[in-house]
Amino acid sequence: MGLWIQISSGSGKPIYVQVAEQISEAIAKGELASGDKLPAVRKLAAELVINPNTAARAYSRLEQAGLVTTKTGSGTYVSDPKLRRSDAADINILTERMDTIITRGLNLGLEGQDLTAIFKGRLAKFVNKKAERRKND
Amino acid sequence: MTETVLETEGLTKYYGSTLAVDHLVLKIPQGCICGFVGRNGAGKTTAIKLMLGLLRPTAGSSRLLGCDSAALTPAIRQRIGYVTEGHRLFRWMSIAELEKFQRSFFPKQWDHKFFADMIEYFNLPKKRKIKHLSIGERAQVSLALALAPNPELLIMDDPTLGLDAAIRRQFLEGMIELIMREGRTVLFSSHILGDVERVSDRIVVIDKGVLRANCSLEEFRTAVKKVILSFADSPPDDVDIEGLLHCRRSEKELELILVGPADEHIAQWAQSNGAQKYRIVKMNLEDQFIEYTAPPNHRRLFQWEEK
Repeated sequence: MGLWIQISSGSGKPIYVQVAEQISEAIAKGELASGDKLPAVRKLAAELVINPNTAARAYSRLEQAGLVTTKTGSGTYVSDPKLRRSDAADINILTERMDTIITRGLNLGLEGQDLTAIFKGRLAKFVNKKAERRKND
Repeated sequence: MTETVLETEGLTKYYGSTLAVDHLVLKIPQGCICGFVGRNGAGKTTAIKLMLGLLRPTAGSSRLLGCDSAALTPAIRQRIGYVTEGHRLFRWMSIAELEKFQRSFFPKQWDHKFFADMIEYFNLPKKRKIKHLSIGERAQVSLALALAPNPELLIMDDPTLGLDAAIRRQFLEGMIELIMREGRTVLFSSHILGDVERVSDRIVVIDKGVLRANCSLEEFRTAVKKVILSFADSPPDDVDIEGLLHCRRSEKELELILVGPADEHIAQWAQSNGAQKYRIVKMNLEDQFIEYTAPPNHRRLFQWEEK
């Protein structure tokens, strides 16, 4: 699994955030499905050539976001979407981020309908991948 | 509590009248990879040599694995690995001879298979003499020699200097491999901040012989910030914000380098000082290091001016 995660040292983004974000994206796209086991912290660290503490930190960030659960002595698994925590605060943050994107889009001179089309197109990339994966399973 | 594997107290070294290391007080806990950074001539190599007892301090002391550096016993030395700057190895020996030689210092724990596997992986002929190896190949031999005795504490002085990206990565892999074993600690100096960021969880910064930081990498990453504030008119003359390191001003902007203050504190300061807007810029480790070790009122080498 380490192979598709790209570390860019020298970016402003801490490495644990880079790892966590790429795993979140894989979960959102369904490349990692609920119940899938993530590699052990040490294996991930060795494959990505990063400090094991950094790898552990990435996992605890995902755990805090409710995306994965760690079973003691067994490993870290992608959690069931139904059990993922999504409270009002999380949704608030999401809305705020969308606002930023909408602002940028409008400032580029795009119309509301252009933005909707882009959003739909991007969303399809995630949702279709998920459906595809379900078909293959 | 985690054990301290490396400790210095007021460690000081003068070369004649030149102060190379200035009252260094350092504690490195077991189990970390510690990136040791500082500009050229900051005193990293001298500090490392003092720690290993290869130089006599002018004042102060240091301890490795609980033993005074000036009196390291053979038993303690066997638990410590050291990679010299430039990978200086005996030139007249072959790789196999060098292994035999090195092995005699670590009779109990030398892992011959591990060494042989590494040399094979690097595709190096064991009978070749060191003097016929390229710098990269010599570095690979030196890495294998450093890891084979499974040292509890591995100290490497700028091990990746002048090496290509692939061999540099092998050194990083080697460090990660070692640290995964129980109770291992690595201290390595480097100028490649991207490498330091990738494998370290701790950072020590020295500048002109003086310790400037000794903390977790994450703490350093969060502490050093750049803030750009814009004002309707000229910015305030007095910038009295907590943790101010550098302040650069232009007609309507202030660029501040800060160490420590929380984002909320910056927001408050910006508001109470009449900034129209402000941005906290996420710096990479290299930029943070350059700013952190820059002298006060530091300016760019080339200042671009609008004509």
